Amino acid sequence: MSERTTPGPPPADPREQVGRRFPGGVFTVEPWRAWLVADTVLDEPGGEVAHPLFVWLAATGAMGVTWDELFAWFGATADDGPMFGEHETTVHRPLRVGATYRVSGEITGADRKTGRSTGPFDVVGYRLRLHDAADGVHVADCWNSIIFPRRG
Amino acid sequence: MDVEVGDALPEWRVPSVSAEKMKTMAALLADPNPIHFDVAAVRALGMGDRPVNQGPLNMGYVMNMLAAWSGGHDRLRRFRVRFLRNVFAGDELCAGGVVTAVRTENGVRLADCDVVLTGAGGEPVLKGTATVALEPVTKEKP
Repeated sequence: MSERTTPGPPPADPREQVGRRFPGGVFTVEPWRAWLVADTVLDEPGGEVAHPLFVWLAATGAMGVTWDELFAWFGATADDGPMFGEHETTVHRPLRVGATYRVSGEITGADRKTGRSTGPFDVVGYRLRLHDAADGVHVADCWNSIIFPRRG
Repeated sequence: MDVEVGDALPEWRVPSVSAEKMKTMAALLADPNPIHFDVAAVRALGMGDRPVNQGPLNMGYVMNMLAAWSGGHDRLRRFRVRFLRNVFAGDELCAGGVVTAVRTENGVRLADCDVVLTGAGGEPVLKGTATVALEPVTKEKP
């Protein structure tokens, strides 16, 4: 991951970011991390199959930008309280503890909306793909949306 | 595994969501969002006085429920959820679901399910769908 950047003003139209590709990277499901994630999510640590939460963890952990940098693409910061909207994990082959995965992806959608109680907000979608670094097999996909409150 | 449409998935409960595990998760994710560890930040945003659980942890509880029912984490094929409301430290949660279809794809029996994570009052905090294989898809070493 790279260093933080200073967020700029909100983009006039969040759709300008659609299609922007993530730098990507690689993520290894280290045994210590697999243990801690299992413990944190109240699962039983151990075993060769990684918790499926690692699809999201690997994808976002090696997308090539920090959360602050991703938020900055949309003129937001962590202090604005960005929230999860939706998530989809698709597993073609279960992730393994100790294996390394290549991550790639892009922004798939962005819309500005206004809620009666929430006020204006942006919904941003992004998709990330995981390939096994050892044999190149496409093993999983991770799609998410983030909600950026726009409190003026 | 004998599965029929309409079968309820066995409930999987979290007695009390832990603020300490949120801190560990924030570190594991390198997630700078202070709502997961800084009560002052939560208050400043008008979100109450308890840290907000990470969305991935809420997903993980439902994945645990599916694994406990289907026979392991290697069974999960697809998992799609919408986050409906925040979960706070101290909340009691229950993951559950129901089988909506049983089908065969490429020789593998699959179960499609509606899944939900509810709070103590029964209000859904996360809802969605999942598909799991009804037989092992990986071979563990002896």
